[in-house]
Amino acid sequence: MTTETQIVGQPLPRVDGRDKVTGKAVFGVDVQLPGLTYLKVLGSAYAHAEILKIDTSKAEKLPGVVGIVTGKDLPKDVDLNFGSRGHSFLAKDKVFFMGQPVAAVAALDIHTAEQALALIDVTYKPLPAVMEVMDAIKSDAPQIIHQGEAASDMDIHNADVAQEKNEDKESGGKAMQVDEKANVKSEGEQHDDGQMEDIGDTDIREAAELAEVAEHGGAEPSYRNIANHIVFKQGDAQQGFAEADVVVENTYRMAQVHQGYLELQNATASWDSINQQLTMWVSTQSQFYERQHAAEVLGLPIHKVKVITPEVGGGFGAKFGLVGPLVGLVSMKIGRPVKHIYTRHEELQASNPAPASHIWIKTGCKRDGTLTAIEAKLFVDTGAYSGSPMSIIAIMLAQPYKFPNILLDGYEVLTNKQSVAAYRAPGGPNSAFAIEQQIDQMAEKVGMSPLDFRMLNASEEGVIRPDGSPQPKIGLKAVLHALKKHRIWKEPLGPNQGRGMAIGGWGGGRGPASAIVKLEGDGTFEVVVGTVDLTGSNTSFAQIAAETLGLPISKIRVTRADTETAPFGPAAGGSQVTYSMGVAIIRACEDAKSQLLKVCAKEFETTEDDIELTEVGVSSKNNPDKKKSWPQMNEATSGFTAKYAPILGRGSAERRKGAPGYAGLVADVEVDPETGVTKILRVVAAQDVGKAINRMSVEGQIQGGTVQGIGIALWEEIMYGADGRVRNASLLDYRKATARDLPFIEALVVEQASEDGPFGAKIVGEPSIIPPAGAIANAIANATGVRVFELPINAERIMRALGKVQQYDSMTTVSAETTKRNGHTGRDNGSSNGRARANGRKRTGKSVTVHGERKSRKTTTRTPR
Amino acid sequence: MNETTMTFNLNGRELTHAFAPYRTLLEVLRDDLGLTGSKEGCGTGDCGACTLLLDGQPVTACLVLAAEADGREVTTIEGLATDGKLTPLQVAFMRYGGLQCGICTSGFIMAAHALLQNNPTPNEEDVRYAIGGNLCRCTGYDKIVRAVMAAAYDEGELVDETASQPVMTKPLFTEGPM
Repeated sequence: MTTETQIVGQPLPRVDGRDKVTGKAVFGVDVQLPGLTYLKVLGSAYAHAEILKIDTSKAEKLPGVVGIVTGKDLPKDVDLNFGSRGHSFLAKDKVFFMGQPVAAVAALDIHTAEQALALIDVTYKPLPAVMEVMDAIKSDAPQIIHQGEAASDMDIHNADVAQEKNEDKESGGKAMQVDEKANVKSEGEQHDDGQMEDIGDTDIREAAELAEVAEHGGAEPSYRNIANHIVFKQGDAQQGFAEADVVVENTYRMAQVHQGYLELQNATASWDSINQQLTMWVSTQSQFYERQHAAEVLGLPIHKVKVITPEVGGGFGAKFGLVGPLVGLVSMKIGRPVKHIYTRHEELQASNPAPASHIWIKTGCKRDGTLTAIEAKLFVDTGAYSGSPMSIIAIMLAQPYKFPNILLDGYEVLTNKQSVAAYRAPGGPNSAFAIEQQIDQMAEKVGMSPLDFRMLNASEEGVIRPDGSPQPKIGLKAVLHALKKHRIWKEPLGPNQGRGMAIGGWGGGRGPASAIVKLEGDGTFEVVVGTVDLTGSNTSFAQIAAETLGLPISKIRVTRADTETAPFGPAAGGSQVTYSMGVAIIRACEDAKSQLLKVCAKEFETTEDDIELTEVGVSSKNNPDKKKSWPQMNEATSGFTAKYAPILGRGSAERRKGAPGYAGLVADVEVDPETGVTKILRVVAAQDVGKAINRMSVEGQIQGGTVQGIGIALWEEIMYGADGRVRNASLLDYRKATARDLPFIEALVVEQASEDGPFGAKIVGEPSIIPPAGAIANAIANATGVRVFELPINAERIMRALGKVQQYDSMTTVSAETTKRNGHTGRDNGSSNGRARANGRKRTGKSVTVHGERKSRKTTTRTPR
Repeated sequence: MNETTMTFNLNGRELTHAFAPYRTLLEVLRDDLGLTGSKEGCGTGDCGACTLLLDGQPVTACLVLAAEADGREVTTIEGLATDGKLTPLQVAFMRYGGLQCGICTSGFIMAAHALLQNNPTPNEEDVRYAIGGNLCRCTGYDKIVRAVMAAAYDEGELVDETASQPVMTKPLFTEGPM
């Protein structure tokens, strides 16, 4: 419930602001230690190969080199699972993507380490590689065979769905049938299925039909390289389409994109050989996860690993255990501290970005706009290891709407790319780009406005979601109402201008969490947490603590402690930190306050409700002469002759109820008909946040997520050559939004209180990234009359859709877009943003129609509860 | 390795320092001199996180050899606040939410500082141009642009760094589609 608040809700500056505007804040990249050595990694030269031999003898002789590790140095007594990316931090016998760590050199300085890399001789036996998801499922595709089970790391990202899945598994309930590792063959079992014909790489329809044939024939779908397969079914999709007056069917593709955090992945480790203890400073979203993961793969007891989290320069889902284990291993071998910072090239070639996807989708509605059915078949490119949000992408296709009949068939596909991880609402943009364009096309066909069509079909409390769980109370309709009232609809649109909208929602994580609050000698209260502050959460914590204690915010300090000293805090992922930790802090403050009141009542010989807490101290309301300043209060509870026990509040919060965040976005664009370049004119982003603990932070989250979504919509794409090399592995060529690309982003904060969050707050961080790609696609369609089915919708794809580019199969084009950069000294001023394409790869999505009746699937499916 | 020596003015103080000639100004500042406020986000001059002032002009220090600073004036983020007193621009970044994770913040502040030195009355386009070489992944730039505008026009308001965000209905932000 929302309550009247004094401090909660105010747009206060960040508590860490002063350190960050003066350059004083210490990030992972700034960590310095006595005797520190520097690490460089030799990445695989091939996308797929066997390692026959690694000769480090020349490199070892280079003066300044302290130590070199290769797969031989992996801990002998740990049963590493080489089917999991988290365990494959150093290649053993095989490499599965270009840039995968093969050897690592520690040296006295970074330049020597780099020189040493060139002296390491690796003999590879190259294997055929497959880079495109629709090539990888073909029956004759090169197979990606790990020596271990395909292990998905997705659950740690706390997506609602992942949690529901776990609950179901635990309770032995009606778990959805997940045909995991359907087609990943372990070594020795390799054989050719030979059941499928060639599948055109642009036409998923054929894939769908062939799968149909395969299934009808009583066989498993014979796709290759499938790491996971999942089906969600509700009602009867066929029946739903039979009832539909309008059916729309298309294929949507999204490129692999990078989370783009400005602080490069990094970790520093220091091995104490006397106590056999490892201390690590990691740029991570969860120090507790980092500790557990490092202990597991390095074969150490958890209490022998200590993780300290410095300031984190952005994570967005990508900073979970990618770099810690390798630095830990090296430090253990050389017995000295070692630091590893990725280069930006390594970030784009060999980190863990967000997945490309290929989604065929069919939706139907009645003449009055009521939705009748959705069917989708999706292929999510997880890269070289499982870990993509495939099932979430499937669920989110249908989740924002009331679809009575649902059939979602999802495949997680292995390719020889760097494997993927979470990126802010993982999979949200992949889904929304598809479903939100479908919605607009149906609305147009039945003659309804995009907003009214969404209002009519918007999901609400009690609607059964694709995974069978009922939708909790959500603010989607409130978001739509807020958007409907906005003045943007009255802004006139000129020639070549268009308007589009989209929505999206995210379940998010929900704890558990714990915190402590201490009264300090100067009368300040110190809140101690083990969570990482990515979004301004420590400022929100200070506001929550001040509000609960009834004190000004100047009396509160928030300290992030390390894994040895902090009470457990959840990962800064799934938008959950303020939502769940906020409750723990309220409880800790209430505990501290009740201790204070007891002490004061005794000391002042009065009742607890007679006690007042103020900025200067405590006093009796009825007898103001009875008072103590905060330092006196501390003396009474912690001094040498103290009569009372120290004030130490403890708060623990069990996992919260779900409080999904729904967002909606309206964007106005202008498309230059000569160049295909899209300009963003106006953006209004609405989101239901339950209660904005700090309005400024909340607006910042909405604006930041929106702009990341705009980047996905218009520019961002990791482009691979057939050899697996990333062709745009720099921030000049991997094009992110700059200040010059954008207008102001209006954040419309909708507050529909949650049941279970602090002061009614809901999850906030992630939802805003979901709608932009769909909204901008719809706006471009509105402006140009043509639809683009592939992300990013860059100038070239628009020109193709407009039919203004011919003979493309044999030519390499460079788009007319230029990077918008300024003229700082030492910069490439206004250089062209090369967007060369692979020869002959036809990638523009196209609308397809499946004729005839689709056969019902044999796959076991889940029935809703 | 033979070292080279330079004498330069770092944040108002003369300094002589020896270093290997192939090292960048950014590396020397961060690793040798302990000034880690300038960050490396790419090493190729694309992200602007290492922006500092060389003779008053913004440069990306990852592309400047340390030797190039010989005899010149270098101002880093650490050199802006004097005796703990922040500049109005720094206060504006705090009050208007112009920073989130903070890794890009020093680069933005240095680029904006250079702008305001040269052009005390910038319009929105001037601000966006001046910070166009700086990448930020958290804010969407909205509140950064507002902070710089506020620093230019509302300096008097920006004394108390702990006060809440000013209401954004000032004429500055309501003229036309910004």
